[in-house]
Amino acid sequence: MATVAGNGDGDDRSAQVRAWVAERAVSRGVPVSVRLLCETAGARLAVSGVALTVDTAGWPELRCSTDVLGEWLAELHVTVGEGPCVDAQRTGGPVLAGDLDGSASQRRWPLFAPAAVEAGAGALFALPLVVGTIRLGVLALHRVVAGQLPPAILADSLAFADVALRLLVDEQAGLPAGNGDPAGEGWPLYSPQVHQATGMISAQLGVGMDEAFVRLRARAFADRRRLAELAADVVARRLRFDPTGEEAS
Amino acid sequence: MSDERLLETFVELADTLVDDFDVIDFLHRLVAGCVALLEVDAAGLLLTDQRGQLQVMASSSEQVRLLELFQLQNDQGPCLDAFATGTRVSHADLSAAGGRWPRFAVAATEAGFAAVDALPMRLRSEVIGALNLFRTGPGVLSGTALRTAQALVDVATIGLLQERSIRHQEILTEQLQGALNSRVVIEQAKGLVAERLGIDMEGAFAALRGYARSRNLKLGDVAGAVIAGRTNTYDLLGTPDPTDRAR
Repeated sequence: MATVAGNGDGDDRSAQVRAWVAERAVSRGVPVSVRLLCETAGARLAVSGVALTVDTAGWPELRCSTDVLGEWLAELHVTVGEGPCVDAQRTGGPVLAGDLDGSASQRRWPLFAPAAVEAGAGALFALPLVVGTIRLGVLALHRVVAGQLPPAILADSLAFADVALRLLVDEQAGLPAGNGDPAGEGWPLYSPQVHQATGMISAQLGVGMDEAFVRLRARAFADRRRLAELAADVVARRLRFDPTGEEAS
Repeated sequence: MSDERLLETFVELADTLVDDFDVIDFLHRLVAGCVALLEVDAAGLLLTDQRGQLQVMASSSEQVRLLELFQLQNDQGPCLDAFATGTRVSHADLSAAGGRWPRFAVAATEAGFAAVDALPMRLRSEVIGALNLFRTGPGVLSGTALRTAQALVDVATIGLLQERSIRHQEILTEQLQGALNSRVVIEQAKGLVAERLGIDMEGAFAALRGYARSRNLKLGDVAGAVIAGRTNTYDLLGTPDPTDRAR
């Protein structure tokens, strides 16, 4: 989910979330990580628990959970093959199940919903961590009581998802956590050319979008160039990625 | 302005509301309709997301898309003003708009635009976005054109908000956030298609959209199928839609 610089309070929220996570990292004396992000979300958001799964060869692998219920819900998705997180991962949009015991949820997930309610979950909010077809994972927030998230909490939750996505994207490209941005350009995913360039590189190298995106970011990092600027060169066909590893201008 | 084409556009917009609602296609029809119907040369549309941020959701050309992004990045321009105030913002001569929007006026003029109208997408007190209409020649837009544009925008706004009332807030969040990611999928597919077929981004979009339209599929689904290799890139050219180069 892209954010746009200098516009509205969305950036402020993401900046606030990054500050919360950094604060916690300092107080714990540990580096910033997705685990730390989950803990921070659990402490800051009015939810019962937070879990984060990453997509590993098409399977959701639990990376962290702030409680046992979160762990159990992640497992349940895998066991029954359905649920809010499966839908969020598939559609690329959030799935906000405010009442798992309600008829809408029970109809939509006939296997997942009853089992989740029996285990004590009232509501589950699945926020996908995606860049187009690149599906990195899902941030899942659960509550033991039913009810939709109030708008401010929902907005903060989406900001947590943005920051989690950023951490996973850096991790995937092998860049320093939350710091794969030497040119200081903030979050460049608002630029359509970044995604167009990813598509072009995918065709040039015969690789998937995930690999193409990693290559684009690694190149920007190595060259100390802004991602959006490098992407514009690819789209203008001033730069090609060559399967032999040599990028030709 | 042809009455028939106008009626057709309203029917198209209303049609999209019936079932299997595709936000991106819906907004695309709106901007394409404005360019086809009104004396304007380009149009772009911004919608607010759950976090209160404006996002470019549809535009009639790649150039306008970048100009809309420019407004967002520089935090200035008619679309932002229309969104902030909930009222129409017009400028008949952008070469003299430097006092109001110093950076935007330069960028718009460089892009070849001389006049702009920005209409808020508003229902009562709620403003959910804005539509920008650009013209290459200076001057004011006719009263008829403005009324038509506002009517189109109002229909679109009611459509989006009606969708929201069905399941309150969460459906709009789910749909808009999902649509935002669909936009990214479409951009990735455009790059793939442009590279494979040796065409530009506008041509790649026209090919994707022509294919989706002729088969009554969602644009985002076609883009996903092309990326996954389920739809052959070269099949896209079988059904181009040369009249529709908007995106």
